Amino acid sequence: MSRTVRFSLGLWFSLLVGQAVAQAPAIPPATSWIPQDAVICLEISHPKALLDILAGDKMTAKVTSLPLYQKLTANPGFLGVTNLIRFLETSLDTDWRTGLGKLTGGGITFAVCPKDTVLLIVDAEDQRMLERTHDFLRTMVQSDAQGKGLPDPVASAEYLGVTGWSFNGKESHAIVGNRFILSNNPEGLKGVLDLRNQTADQSFATVPDYAAAKKTIEQNSIASAFVNLGPIKGIPGIEKALSQGKSNPLAALFFSGMIEAIRNSQWLAAGLYIQDQTLDLRAAVNGKPVDPDGPAGFAMPQQSGEGALPNLVVPRQIAAMSFYRDLHRFYAAKDDLFPERTSSLIFFENMMGIFFSGRDLTDEVLVEARPHMRFVVAEQEYDPAIGTPQIRIPAFAMILQLRDQEQFDEIVEEAWQKAVGLINFTRGQQAMPGLIIDRPIHNGAKFTVAYFSTAGLKDKTNLHNRFNFCPSLAMPGDYLILSSSDGLARNLIDAQKQEAAQSVKPLAGKHSLVELDGIQLSSILQSNYDNLVRKNMIDKGNTQLDAEASIDLFVTLTKLVKHLGLSMGTQDRLTEAQLKVELNLP
Amino acid sequence: MSTENLKESEPVEPGSLTFAAVTRPIDPAWAWVPYQPDAQHPWSLAQAGHLYRRAAFGANWDQLQQALADGPQKTIDRLLKPQADVPAFNRAEDQFDDSAAGSDSADSLRAWWLRRMIHTPHPLLEKMTLFWHNYFAVSNDRVKNGKLMQQHVALLREHALGSFRPLLKAIVHDPAVLLSAGNASSRKANPNDGLPRILLEEYTLGSKQCDEKDIAEAARAFTGQFVLRGALQSIPREHDDGRKLILGQEGNFTGDDVVQIALDHPKTPRRLVRKLYEWFLSETESPCEALVEPLVASLGPSYDVMKLVETILRSNLFFSSIAYRQRIKSPVEFALGMIHALEAMVSTTQLAQDLSGLGQNLYHPPTIKGWTGGRHWINTASLAGRNNLAVALLQGSGAYGGSINPQRLSLNHQRSTVQSATQFMLDLFIQNDLPTTVRDGLLDGLPDTSSTVKTDFDAIVRQSALSIVTLAEYHLA
Repeated sequence: MSRTVRFSLGLWFSLLVGQAVAQAPAIPPATSWIPQDAVICLEISHPKALLDILAGDKMTAKVTSLPLYQKLTANPGFLGVTNLIRFLETSLDTDWRTGLGKLTGGGITFAVCPKDTVLLIVDAEDQRMLERTHDFLRTMVQSDAQGKGLPDPVASAEYLGVTGWSFNGKESHAIVGNRFILSNNPEGLKGVLDLRNQTADQSFATVPDYAAAKKTIEQNSIASAFVNLGPIKGIPGIEKALSQGKSNPLAALFFSGMIEAIRNSQWLAAGLYIQDQTLDLRAAVNGKPVDPDGPAGFAMPQQSGEGALPNLVVPRQIAAMSFYRDLHRFYAAKDDLFPERTSSLIFFENMMGIFFSGRDLTDEVLVEARPHMRFVVAEQEYDPAIGTPQIRIPAFAMILQLRDQEQFDEIVEEAWQKAVGLINFTRGQQAMPGLIIDRPIHNGAKFTVAYFSTAGLKDKTNLHNRFNFCPSLAMPGDYLILSSSDGLARNLIDAQKQEAAQSVKPLAGKHSLVELDGIQLSSILQSNYDNLVRKNMIDKGNTQLDAEASIDLFVTLTKLVKHLGLSMGTQDRLTEAQLKVELNLP
Repeated sequence: MSTENLKESEPVEPGSLTFAAVTRPIDPAWAWVPYQPDAQHPWSLAQAGHLYRRAAFGANWDQLQQALADGPQKTIDRLLKPQADVPAFNRAEDQFDDSAAGSDSADSLRAWWLRRMIHTPHPLLEKMTLFWHNYFAVSNDRVKNGKLMQQHVALLREHALGSFRPLLKAIVHDPAVLLSAGNASSRKANPNDGLPRILLEEYTLGSKQCDEKDIAEAARAFTGQFVLRGALQSIPREHDDGRKLILGQEGNFTGDDVVQIALDHPKTPRRLVRKLYEWFLSETESPCEALVEPLVASLGPSYDVMKLVETILRSNLFFSSIAYRQRIKSPVEFALGMIHALEAMVSTTQLAQDLSGLGQNLYHPPTIKGWTGGRHWINTASLAGRNNLAVALLQGSGAYGGSINPQRLSLNHQRSTVQSATQFMLDLFIQNDLPTTVRDGLLDGLPDTSSTVKTDFDAIVRQSALSIVTLAEYHLA
């Protein structure tokens, strides 16, 4: 592409206007201008709906009221950007939000194609504003280069009757009517313009998989995405991730169902929906769902109405997870699921043999667990009389349900006390203090707690990290609760009582459910603020001020998420996932 | 010692890369006299760079220019006693160390120490702290307690430029030292010779300067000292209060008495002087007794380390070819030299890991003798590792991100062409002191960049910087 500007601005205007007149009535969907071999295609059909929530009054009020924003306003770089935006607003005679809406209101399409080509097609509502914005940016780039004594970086060339531009010698873009086309290289732009001129349609819009994927997206979606999984699965990192289960038992346990479904699929389709302040992303892959009778079937509900249980709810809950996983079937199929016998796995089996007094792990231990696994993570409360650790680690717990609690509870208790004894013995060998076992009663349930004593410690405000842990075992009803803290164990005993009284039903067809409370997460981050800042300083090489800004931003983002829920399961022979994000706006 | 000999050893010849043992006799009367620049031996950028490599962890451009303007003695004054509020800086840094010492690992402590080395207004203090870390060679592999390691290094820093006497007296009561020496307990029925052996053979007299009987008797003197739950405790009933015969002296000695006896032994100051000679002057040559004696006198019975270091740094010998580039940079010096020169700050967590991979894992010296150093820093694998680290630091992406930016630094110093920026890097990293053919090859290979776009300029300057820091000259301190 030539490095000289070939046409005057007047000619450019007249050309564009002329084209607009000719093209506007018949401009086809943007996917008709995207090559067939695109790997990822993201279409935002209603950008204004997204803008309304992400750049609306409520979000703007929320962001501008944040301390981080107040700090940023004093930053010279930030002031430069806001001044530029104000200048643009004045020049275009609009405010930035309206301007952005008019520039993108017709839809945004983004595609990733082979040979590292990226395409962006934006349909403006206001063609004149698009042209003026382009002109403004071109002038600004040229003035900037001139000010630095550098050559004019703007270049342009004609291709199939359209003027292609580049502002930095690398990106290429063009305007066709009210459509703005951007590519990260000239060949990408040429490909789009070739498709525009073709009579026989060989565009992405005609790809059968894309058409099939489109059918899974509901009409009221704000945005949709299509991913051709064939090339994606060949990317080394993803290929490795998809084969993780074969060597990693935990990956096999928690990601079975999902990994197999992606391995078997040709495409992934996703649709984004907005309701009030909730973003709802629903995705599906077309691969054959996991065979319920196969090795990975341990994660597949066997009968209709079966599935993961709803999450337990405790005070100060940060996250909760619920899985439908048949541990007995999982471990019985270990030779198929994770054939590589790592030293860690052998160690685990040996230890289980010791803890469970020689019982067979598969047929005499895991068989006792029902196929429901739940996890809870919650912020801890610390009694100042006992002490507060320097780093406040959230408490976490695993909750199982037993088939025959009466027969099995003493076996579990014995195994657990052996584990505590082993920890104590090992710590004693290293002259470190051990755990003290106690058996308190809470809400009618006797449970076992092991704790480190703070007696004799002078400074109880800055305790060692070990004081975050009071490993506890509780077995109310047919529940088995293994908790890292006694406080969470008590709260889970209460939660169990409530759940038992309500006779909770499983989430039919769902095998995995993850929920996160952003406000509670921000609370634990805030509690560890100084530690996080210090870690950021040495991990990123930041100054203290930069580290604080970085953590502030992270805390701010978490505060914006009131609730996040991710569920996965099978519906109508499609493996589906749903991510719902409820924003925390006033 | 003839004048010819003296003159032979004086000049620093630009472009000289001589890493071989120097066998020429050196006149002590000349060697330790403060260096005064003259027409024949002028104060130069190369000398300033040499001083900052030895007494600090390298210099940035402003420091080099300031040193050039101030001359050697004023620059050394500043290195010995900086004007900045060093105690305030260290108090603030100590708080970071406190927070990092909460776990049993020393990983965060390593990162914080590297950060302190980069930021400190008193780099000589940190350099000496590193010297003592190597000297006492206490490793968290054996201590397994971050808090004790933090306290140990804080102790080294407190005495780094003070007197060796109180330092050694504190060292033998430091729980980290005792745990590292395998001396967590010592009862009179079973005296533990871990600490006494290290004290006599590594910390004071040196190996083969005392016999097993001396060590066994010294072990009796140290009985009754225990490390219990991370704290030192003295249990009098476990102390052997009988008479002991140690290094020819007889008495009812305690551990402190053994330290006193070792400090008073004539071998101890000589050994310390030789260690410091190797640290500051040259790894390639073992100094003769005549050369050591004036330094022993400078150290004096009070073991004034600051005075000794000052004598060395100000000396003719320090600025002579006998010292110039006669050490191989340790991995810490190699990396921090780049970071200092380029006025950057990087992830020191990552840097600590990478330095560990190159053989210098801070808080974890490999043996009780510390890091062997010298030629042992360089082998085929470690040289490739050093080059990989240089690439990682300079590539502008990856683990270290883009915080190191030679192009920006060059522009800040008004070097806006590839040629001038590359020349600037040569001056900055190796003070342009390399064989003409190498220098010309480097500069001649550069593209004409009168119309080079910004990104290309950045890439070329990064490549130039990388080419320079992987030259043999840059690996020498």
